[in-house]
Amino acid sequence: MASQNEVLFAKDSVYIHINVQDTKDKDAHIAGRVYLMKKPEGNFIEWKAEECLSHDIQNDEWDVIGSVGFRNDRDSECVSMNAKMDARRKYNISFDVLDLKSFKRNAPNHSWAYIIFILKDGTTFPALHFHNGGSKALLKELETFIHIRRSPNDQRLFIVHDHDPEMLSKSFNELSIFSDSSSAYVQKFVSEPHKGFPKKFMKDPYTATMGGFSKVTNFLRDNFMAPENLTRPQSEMAEFLHEDIPGMEISNLDEPGFEMVTKTKLPPRPVVKRSEHLELAKWNSFFDSDGTISQVEEVKEIIFRGGVDPAIRSEVWKFLLGFYDWDSTTKKRQEQRKRKVDDYFRMKLQWKTISSEQERRFTLLKERRGLIDKDVMRTDRTHKFFSGDKNPNLQVLYDILMTYCMYNFDLGYVQGMSDILAPILVVMENEVDAFWCFAGAMERVCHNFEMDQNGMKVQLSQIHKLMQVYDPELCAYLESHDSGNFYFCFRWILIMFKREFHFHEIQRLWEVIWTDLPCQNFHLIISLAILDSEKSTLMENKFGFTEILKHINDISLSIPLDDTLCKAEGIFLQLKEFKKLPKAVKEVLGLLPVPVSQSMENSVFIGSASNTDVKSQDSASRVDTPQLMGGISSSSSISVNGSRSSHSLGGKQNSIIDEGSKILT
Amino acid sequence: MASRKKVLLKVIILGDSGVGKTSLMNQYVAKKFSNQYKATIGADFLTKEVMVDDRLVTMQIWDTAGQERFQSLGVAFYRGADGCVLVFDVTMPNTFRSLDSWRDEFLIQASPRDPENFPFVVIGNKIDLENRAVSARRAQGWCHSKGDIPYFETSAKEAINVEQAFQAVAKNAMAQESDVELCSDFPDPIKLKDDQAKPRENCAC
Ligand SMILES: Nc1nc2c(ncn2[C@@H]2O[C@H](COP(=O)(O)OP(=O)(O)O)[C@@H](O)[C@H]2O)c(=O)[nH]1
Ligand SMILES: [Mg+2]
Repeated sequence: MASQNEVLFAKDSVYIHINVQDTKDKDAHIAGRVYLMKKPEGNFIEWKAEECLSHDIQNDEWDVIGSVGFRNDRDSECVSMNAKMDARRKYNISFDVLDLKSFKRNAPNHSWAYIIFILKDGTTFPALHFHNGGSKALLKELETFIHIRRSPNDQRLFIVHDHDPEMLSKSFNELSIFSDSSSAYVQKFVSEPHKGFPKKFMKDPYTATMGGFSKVTNFLRDNFMAPENLTRPQSEMAEFLHEDIPGMEISNLDEPGFEMVTKTKLPPRPVVKRSEHLELAKWNSFFDSDGTISQVEEVKEIIFRGGVDPAIRSEVWKFLLGFYDWDSTTKKRQEQRKRKVDDYFRMKLQWKTISSEQERRFTLLKERRGLIDKDVMRTDRTHKFFSGDKNPNLQVLYDILMTYCMYNFDLGYVQGMSDILAPILVVMENEVDAFWCFAGAMERVCHNFEMDQNGMKVQLSQIHKLMQVYDPELCAYLESHDSGNFYFCFRWILIMFKREFHFHEIQRLWEVIWTDLPCQNFHLIISLAILDSEKSTLMENKFGFTEILKHINDISLSIPLDDTLCKAEGIFLQLKEFKKLPKAVKEVLGLLPVPVSQSMENSVFIGSASNTDVKSQDSASRVDTPQLMGGISSSSSISVNGSRSSHSLGGKQNSIIDEGSKILT
Repeated sequence: MASRKKVLLKVIILGDSGVGKTSLMNQYVAKKFSNQYKATIGADFLTKEVMVDDRLVTMQIWDTAGQERFQSLGVAFYRGADGCVLVFDVTMPNTFRSLDSWRDEFLIQASPRDPENFPFVVIGNKIDLENRAVSARRAQGWCHSKGDIPYFETSAKEAINVEQAFQAVAKNAMAQESDVELCSDFPDPIKLKDDQAKPRENCAC
C-alpha cells in the first residue's frame, strides 16, 4: 500500500504553533514535515509532527489518518501509553487537494510565511508556519492540480478556482459569466435586482467579462458600493426595508432621495488602541483612607482599555462581579465577605445533607447531579489547574456547581456553566470567592441558559440587527445562505467566547466585557468584529450554512484578541456616530436617551455623554469618562432583552430604563 | 482505482448528554479516545471518507449538545439528514428511555420523505463498564418495535464495534439514496441538502 504513495513534494521545518499556557506540551512550536503526496485515491496535502514521522511510515498508517476529518481539539490531549507521539498525532493534517477551497498565506516582513488551509466543507486547519521557507514552492506544486486566484479584497486570501479543466481553457468571452459557478455571487445579485444590484451591470457584462473575475469583483465594489448608486426609488426602498430590516422604522420615507443604509454611509472607523493593564500601584492609588474606591469610572476605563494585571485579578474581579460593592469601605467589605461565607456553606449543606435514599425520590436533583458529574470530568482538563486523574480541584468545581443549583434552583445546572466557572475558579483559587463571583458572572448571562432559550434567540437576532446596519452586504450574504439566524454564533454567545480564546485571553476578554464599557451588549459588537475579519473568507468561498458553521467553529483559538477588541470598539464608535442609526440598534446598545417623562432631571443629559443614573453612587466621577459612554452610565447594564437587571448595582436604574425603552418602542 | 465520484451522507448523532456521542464520533473518524473532550456546545461535524459497496462516500457526521433545552435551536441541523444514530449509555436506564423522544423529535424536525424506513441505528455505548443496567435484550426489543432498527453495542473507549455501527448506517442510508436516484455531484463533495427546501439555479439533481 505504502509503495503506491508517491511523494511529490516534501518540506521539513514546518511548524504548528500551539499555546503552551493551556497545555502540558512544553513546545510552543511543533515541528513537522509537509508533503504533497500522490495516493491511489487522489493527491493529498499532509503534515505530520516529527514524532509521528518514523513511526507512521513503519506502520504504514497513512491510510488510517487519510480522512478529511479534523478535530478542533488542538488544546486537548490524548491519554495513551505512547503519550508524546499520541499527543502529537492529533495535530496531523491530511486532505485531498480536490477538497481544498481556499487558503490564506501571510508572509510578514521580518518573519516566516504561514499558510492556513480551508476545505470546501469549511474545515479550517491551524496555520502551518514555514520557518525555513518553502511555502511558495508548495503552492507552486499545488498549482499543477488546481487553479488558484488571489482575492481582490484580501491580499492574503487565495481561492481555488473550480475545477473543470476544460472550462479553464476557454476564453472568458466564450464563457457565460452568469452560469459559471464562481460567479454565483454575482448571479445572486443579478437575478434579484431588487436586492440592490445596479442594473447597469446587466447591460454591460462586457466590461466585466473582459477583465476576468477579479475585475468583476472590483467592478462590484466600485459601482455597487459607490454612494451615487445607492439612491433608489422610494417604493423599491420601502420594499427593501420591509423585507430586510424588520422592525426598522421607515419614517425616512418622505425624505427625498433617501439613501440605502449601507456600510459606505457609516462614518469611517476611528483607529483605536489598547493600553497597559491595571497594575497594583495604580489600583491601590484609587482607595481613600477608609478603603473606598474614589474614581470608579476611571478604574473601569483602565480595565476596559487594558485589562487587569493577573496578580491583582482575584481582588479586582470581586468588584467587577458584584462580590463587593464599588462604593464599599474596607469595613463593609469585611462584613460582606463574612456574610457570603456563611451563606455559601449554608447552601452547600443543603445538598450535602440529602441522603441517597432521599435522592431516589428527588429526580430533579439526581439528574442535575448526573449532568454536573459528567461535565466536571470534561471541563478544561488540559489546563494545569484541572488536569490529571483525581485532581482535587475537580471536586471544588463540582461543589460550586451543586451549590449553585441550590442558590438558583429554578435555573439549575445547564451545560456551559462549568465553562464559565472554570476561569473564575482558576483566578480565585478559593471556593467561596469563586462561587459568588460565578454567581455574579451568571447574573449577566443566565438568560442564555433558560429553558425556552429566549435569551439566546434574542441575542442572535440582535447580532442580525446590528449586522444589517454595519454591513448590509455581509448580512444579505448570510441571509441568502441560510445563515440569517446567526446560529453559527451560538457557542460564542452562550458562554461569552469561552471556547474561542485561550484561557489567559478569556480572562482578559471577560474583565473587559464586565466593565460594561463602552456600551451595553458590547459582546455583540465583538461578534461583528470577528465576522468582519472573516467576511472575505465566507463570501469569496461562497460558503453556505454548513461551511460557515464549520469555519466559524474551526477558527476558535486563533482569533487575535487585541485586534478584535480594537476593531469592536471602532465599530461601536462608527455606529454611535452614525446619524441614521435605527432605533432598534440604539436600543440594543443602550444608546437611547431616557424619555423626558421619566425624569426632568435626566432629560438634561439627553444627547450628552452619559447618563441615566443621577442618583447612582458614582455620578460624581462621570466627568472623567467622556467619549466612552454610550448613552447610559457604565454602572448600569441592561440585559439582552431589557427585561432583567443583570447587575446588582444597577437594579434600580435598570428598571427605569426598561420602562423607558418600552415607552419608546 | 476508486471512482472520483463522491456521495455525501449526512448523519446525525443524537442522545442524552454524556452518553458518548462526541467520543463515538471521534473514535470513528479519528480512531482515538480521550477522556478530555469538552462537552459539546452548539453543533459541529466531522467528515470521513468510507467505501460502501464499492462507492466512495463522504460521511458528514453531526454532533450536537444533548441537553434538552438546546434542541429547540439545534433542529436546523436535522434538515437533509440521510441517517441518524441514536445513542444511549448501557449503564444509565434513563438515557435508554429517552430514545423514544429523540427518535420522534428527529422525525418531526427532519421530516424525511419516508419516515417508516428512515435509516436509524441504535447504539448502546460504554459496554466496557461494569455496571450495565440496560440489557441487550431490552434494547433489541425496542429496536424491533420501531421497525427493526439495527442495534449495536459499543465502547467508544475501547473501540469496540464502533466501525460496524457507523458502517451500517452508511450502508442503509446508501440503500435509501439509491432508491431515490443517486445524485452524483462531482466535483463538489458537499451536497447542498438545503436544495430541497430552496431550489437553486445550478442544482445538478
Ligand atoms: N467508560 C467509557 N466512557 C465513555 C465511553 N464513551 C464516552 N465515555 C465518557 O463519557 C463521558 C461523556 O462522553 P461524551 O462523548 O462527551 O458524551 P456526549 O455528551 O454524548 O457527547 C466522557 O467523560 C467520556 O470520556 C465509553 O465507551 N466507555
Ligand atoms: Mg458531546
